Amino acid sequence: MDFSYKEKGLIASLGVTLLIFGWYLYGAFSKLSLNPEPPGFVEIIILIVWVAVLESIIQGFIALKNKSQLEDERDKLIEKISYRYGYWFLSAGIWFLMVQILFDTRFDHLPVLTTPNGMFHLLLLFFVLAEVTNFVVQLYYYRKGF
Amino acid sequence: MSQQTLAEKVGVTRQTIIAIEKDKYSPSLEVAFKISNEFDVALETVFNYK
Repeated sequence: MDFSYKEKGLIASLGVTLLIFGWYLYGAFSKLSLNPEPPGFVEIIILIVWVAVLESIIQGFIALKNKSQLEDERDKLIEKISYRYGYWFLSAGIWFLMVQILFDTRFDHLPVLTTPNGMFHLLLLFFVLAEVTNFVVQLYYYRKGF
Repeated sequence: MSQQTLAEKVGVTRQTIIAIEKDKYSPSLEVAFKISNEFDVALETVFNYK
């Protein structure tokens, strides 16, 4: 299968996001009951730096192997559409959490999620899923067209 | 004319030219005019509305 420069970059970003945040969130959700406090600021910064460094290295390799890195109107249009889907997904997630808090129906079956640590990681999960939606929608439109 | 040459002349990527050829993308008017100008033909000779 022949992938364009943009598609290779998207696959790399998707892989890094799933790998690093997936690994982090899996660990965080499996240890939620042990710690009710959210993680420290430094811990989150380290996580984000890991993603940024890994992504930059992979994108650098991809750029080296591709002569043309031009971005045109089709790329911008696909990016615009994908951001809209990502925004809807993020909004839905945040509304879901807001409704849970407003109506005090917060995860009755999983009380550990009502701790600050649980809420923090649920929010982070929705941010990551919104980003993943953004990448997947872009890949879909690059393949399918519109 | 190769897809790469046309892409460079029009100012888009080769992937966009491929997508237009495969009917997977409708270009902006600006790009459509640039393509027809490159071939020195009328716009409706290259593109038609379905």
